[in-house]
Amino acid sequence: MKVDKSFISRKRWNVVLILLVLLLLLSISFFATMGSADITLNETIKIVSSKLPFINKYVDKSSIPDSHQFIILKLRIPRVLLGVLVGAALSCVGAAFQGMFKNPMADPYIIGISSGAALGASLIIITGLNATIFGIRSVSLGAFIGAIASTFIVYVISRVKKRVPITVLLLSGIAVGQFFTAIMSFLMVLHSNDLTRIIFWTLGSFSGKGWNELLPIILPVFFSIVVLNFFARDLNVMLTGEESAQNMGIDVEKIKILILIICALITAMAVSVSGIIGFVGLIVPHIVRLIVGPDHRILIPASALFGGIFMIFADTIARTIIAPTEIPVGIITSLFGGPFFIYLLRKKKRSV
Amino acid sequence: MTEAIKVKSLYFGYGDNHVLKDINFTIKKGDFVSIIGPNGSGKSTLLKNIANILKPEKGIIEVDGKNIIDYSVKELAKKIALVPQDTHIAYEFNVFDIVLMGRNPYLKRFERETDKDFQIAKESLKLTDTLHLKDKGINNISGGERQRVIISRALAQQPKILLLDEPTSHLDINHQIDILSLLQKLNKEKEMTIVVVIHDINLAARFSNKIILLNKGEVLSIGNPKEVINYNNLENTYNLDMIITDNPYTNSPYIIPLTSKEKNNYRKINKKVHVICGGGTGGEVLNKLDLFGYRFSVGVINIGDSDWQLGKKLSAELIEEMPFTGITDKAYKKNVATMEKSDVVVLTSVPYGKGNFKNLEAAYKALEKGKPVYLIDNYQKYKRFDYVNGKAKKILDDMKKKGLKLVNSVDELLLMLKKHV
Repeated sequence: MKVDKSFISRKRWNVVLILLVLLLLLSISFFATMGSADITLNETIKIVSSKLPFINKYVDKSSIPDSHQFIILKLRIPRVLLGVLVGAALSCVGAAFQGMFKNPMADPYIIGISSGAALGASLIIITGLNATIFGIRSVSLGAFIGAIASTFIVYVISRVKKRVPITVLLLSGIAVGQFFTAIMSFLMVLHSNDLTRIIFWTLGSFSGKGWNELLPIILPVFFSIVVLNFFARDLNVMLTGEESAQNMGIDVEKIKILILIICALITAMAVSVSGIIGFVGLIVPHIVRLIVGPDHRILIPASALFGGIFMIFADTIARTIIAPTEIPVGIITSLFGGPFFIYLLRKKKRSV
Repeated sequence: MTEAIKVKSLYFGYGDNHVLKDINFTIKKGDFVSIIGPNGSGKSTLLKNIANILKPEKGIIEVDGKNIIDYSVKELAKKIALVPQDTHIAYEFNVFDIVLMGRNPYLKRFERETDKDFQIAKESLKLTDTLHLKDKGINNISGGERQRVIISRALAQQPKILLLDEPTSHLDINHQIDILSLLQKLNKEKEMTIVVVIHDINLAARFSNKIILLNKGEVLSIGNPKEVINYNNLENTYNLDMIITDNPYTNSPYIIPLTSKEKNNYRKINKKVHVICGGGTGGEVLNKLDLFGYRFSVGVINIGDSDWQLGKKLSAELIEEMPFTGITDKAYKKNVATMEKSDVVVLTSVPYGKGNFKNLEAAYKALEKGKPVYLIDNYQKYKRFDYVNGKAKKILDDMKKKGLKLVNSVDELLLMLKKHV
């Protein structure tokens, strides 16, 4: 049997993914257990298992207090799952964008999605439209619409002769983002009584979020992530340059637009429930790339899994570190992300 | 079907200005074609049109007898592979992964590479002699190695036609020859049609059997190297004075660029210099005299000598002698007369033998009549310059006593000449 180094590492992809899935399950149980209420890991596992089909017959949860069951099932589990979903969403979009933009500094918000979402959310907060439509809170809806609108505007601006040049896309993303942020800041000055709510929203948090936020987005986000993976090999080839990719049989412009749409949808859904959680989408793909290499066929799924784990780790710190007060999880991720970002910058400078 | 690529009245432009205008040509299967032309003449644009990366405004490009717009992206990728100019790759893929990407046109969306794809990638690396690099990072190898790896990736596409956009432009001279020799091998052994955009006209002439010369977006000339590489085509295209000779080692046309035709920077100087040279010793001095605006004559010089060619090229007054013939009295007298009409006489460090010894005698005569005579003294470089039993050395020694001025370089000579102006 001939030995090919790269072939072996390909064979290890499945091992990496299985390990990450196991680690994710472990993290979910572990982080759901952590908190001010005195619940054991054992109890958590029993409570969750009792709700699963087939295994529930074998679980005896009679000794567990109802309050614990309530905390786990109604508060902790939905929040942890939401964290996993948002972390996975941001991380795999980050990985895809870093590939598509051929820029290691790219993150899910690079084309102005965050500013659009923040403006949308602010408008709802200021106008006081605290309605709930089909179980979705109006702030979330505003953020989602803002995110999609900003992406659309950026896309229209960047479109030159049926093509979307990457640099134009990046620059118009920055310009539109700044413009929206300016409007938002102006609104904040005018409506200073809503200032705190808006700031807290933009910092990003899972505080008080549960099944209501999770259920509408869980399937769309999950399937979008799956679909994003279908474009992994195209992303690999596109990394070598769009012209080369075209010549290697990839319809670059079509693929770019498809990836853009999928990523914008994923990010908009994530942001609409969590606010703007920074740095996850930037650093997780980098960490994962260090371990599994730059091939998107493993990078995207591994980033999604690792991003989920990282997010619930950060959220657990956010809600326990100065309990009972919760800090926005965006602060925690930025505390980790900022120094790592600087590390990347320095490393890049050295290699130039 | 012998046509690999056929381009019919192709126009390409951004807005109103046409980068390519009415391009027509045919490339046969097995051709090795070089596209040459000055910067901005549309070489790369033409290549990208053929690769279907840029879409023409009008016109038809056929590959293998079929319009390229009727190919699916993947089908075309199986026929044509492009090696782009910029081979930089943003993330640290290893060489083998990069080459494996060349298999993309053969894979369906959900398909993984099979053993066959691995095998083909491996063979492509072997062909370019880079298999030993397969586990290295693509950005951790040298420019020449990376160029080869990218060619391997193109080969993994198993194309019939290989397009390369300036594959040698960032490489050392040895790697330039390496890459072109590799292309020649692929052309000969694998019968691959090669189309290469290249700046170096001499390399183009040496390696390709067909050259397309572009100027301002139009095909100025097309044909084999000897048909395309001529004064008429090149001097106006490149706005450059040049010498075209045969490269005696490769039997291909060889150009030596001289000065740009826009040399108005230097005012014409109404002083005449007579130069005695031969065998290439006069190259630098003639060129610089011309550049700085002096009038000059050369003599006596044998027809066919490289200094004769240059003098002819620079439209200098030439006192000629038949090839490989000693100086006749007639030429000698003409030479003496020409020197008399000159303001300065310059001797290069030419070796003297029976054939040209009379030139030295003529110079001696001029010196005795009071003409300023300069010797650009590089004789120490030669083991021997006197092939007339010491007579040349003796004359030169005598001349030194009588006021022959020695300079060490052409630049020093030009400084001295300024005094006579």
